[in-house]
Amino acid sequence: MDQELAFGGASGILIMLIYGLIMLAIGIITYKRNKQVRDSNEEYYLGGKGLSVMVLFFTFYATQYSGNNIIGYAPEGYRAGFEWLQSITFMVLVIVGYLLFAPRLYVLSRKFEFITPTDWLKKRYKSKGVTILGALLMLYGLGNYLLEQFVAVGQGVSGLTGDTIPYQAAVIFFIIIMVVYSWLGGMRSVAYTDTMQGFALLFGVFILLIGSILYFEGLPSATDYMEAVAPEKLGVPSSEGITSWFSLISLTLIGAAIYPQAIQRIFSAKSEKALKNSLVGMAWMPFVTTGVVLIIGLIGFHAYAGLDSAESEQLVGIMANYIASQNTLFYWAMILLFGGIIAAIISTADSVLLTFSSIISKDLYGGFINKTAPEHKQIFVGKIIGIIAVIILLIIAWNPPGTIIEIFELKFEVLVQVAPAFILGLYFKQIHTNAVLAGMVIGTLLAAIMTFAGWTPFGFASGLWGLLVNTLICVFGSILFQAPEKEQQHAQEMTQV
Amino acid sequence: MKLVKEPIKNKKLWIVLGVLFFLSVPWYLPTGSYKPMILGLPYWAWIILLDTLALSITLTIALKKLWITETDKTEEGEE
Repeated sequence: MDQELAFGGASGILIMLIYGLIMLAIGIITYKRNKQVRDSNEEYYLGGKGLSVMVLFFTFYATQYSGNNIIGYAPEGYRAGFEWLQSITFMVLVIVGYLLFAPRLYVLSRKFEFITPTDWLKKRYKSKGVTILGALLMLYGLGNYLLEQFVAVGQGVSGLTGDTIPYQAAVIFFIIIMVVYSWLGGMRSVAYTDTMQGFALLFGVFILLIGSILYFEGLPSATDYMEAVAPEKLGVPSSEGITSWFSLISLTLIGAAIYPQAIQRIFSAKSEKALKNSLVGMAWMPFVTTGVVLIIGLIGFHAYAGLDSAESEQLVGIMANYIASQNTLFYWAMILLFGGIIAAIISTADSVLLTFSSIISKDLYGGFINKTAPEHKQIFVGKIIGIIAVIILLIIAWNPPGTIIEIFELKFEVLVQVAPAFILGLYFKQIHTNAVLAGMVIGTLLAAIMTFAGWTPFGFASGLWGLLVNTLICVFGSILFQAPEKEQQHAQEMTQV
Repeated sequence: MKLVKEPIKNKKLWIVLGVLFFLSVPWYLPTGSYKPMILGLPYWAWIILLDTLALSITLTIALKKLWITETDKTEEGEE
């Protein structure tokens, strides 16, 4: 689909610059207001545990929803049709995941002053193995997640502006902005910029919906058209569709809530009330985000029928481009949409990078390498390693190694393996440390091997099989080799709420 | 801070969530069916949407009413 891009060129660059400057300004203001922010882990990584309900809600929102929820999910709706309703359900189910552990973990995080997710593992199991492996799994998952965001921001910018801004320049520009504002104000900067980015994302989605309805007719004509040319997209999915639907909602139910950057937001809440209310808000956001994007994808099927799989990936760009060429109002609205998509990606990446650095600072450097390091030094080391990781990930993003590319695709599959240690440990004092460790190791290996081999028995994702085996090892290992009385007593004290 | 009520300990909640989870995937409806269409959407899309809506309502209630700590009580007392 070759089209003259209506909003490439100068206006694309302008919006990018303005957007970058606003984020920088937020970083500088935050820094000026909290000059001590870089002296303590709690201040830098958790915003002094003082995020109020609105900021907390938006940082949850902007972190959980990325650019892919717009530019990737609309094409999914285009290709799968109504089957993609699952994108609303699974984003709601993420909140069920939080219900499994957030209330208790929040209380414990206040009692024992947790900074990172690993702090909980360390306190609960008192095992170097579990702590280090947990930290490494999280770092690995986070690193790959970050890589994905970098690739997305470059493709998003060059795709939406018709390559006016080359891929590399866009990525570097936004990474520098992101690093500067994160360094200046830590979690506060990230959360405040997330608030602005969350607004931008919501605004962008709605403006695209309005444009689509005005210029491509509404949903009823799209479904009429679908009935005539592709009734299978309207119908109840086949058994394979049903299985993959179950697989995806099960994986997100456990997996998305356990994201380390999400857990750190639980720790950052100003009060339990703020945490509860922001999660209530999150339970409703799928309808106005992934739900709206689904409608756009379905309308897109009517407007641009017959795109093949690769072409359909450009759907949002194609639609936005057409809408932008209608009149000045929509031209600028689509430029804001473009800002919103970039905002969604950057706001996810900044949170991931901050959590990544916190695990390096506190868990690995402060916990094992230099136990006497003052906190400002821990933060400094976390920042530096964060930057080195960013540079390495950029090199990978631009020169993907041909043969082992799959190892960079493992995210969810690996991250989710921390869940049994994390969640079961909250409720069962009988859980045996070695069983937890064995479960994590075997679950991770199994999930990785199955992903590389492309095995998905009964249509269920490899990450789920790994998680199942991991959980079984945790549970049966703990029943067979009972945890020593002393450990159980310690666990009892740890989980007392 | 002490937890007075914890959602995970509420059996009824998990039964409701479990049922809604299993009904959120249309395995119980005939494959390929989409009629009647209601307001431009296939009938089963409404079922899934209503189920998901019920999930959000259940979650809202669970977060507000089944997650209570001591500080909530004192805050309420102060208000």
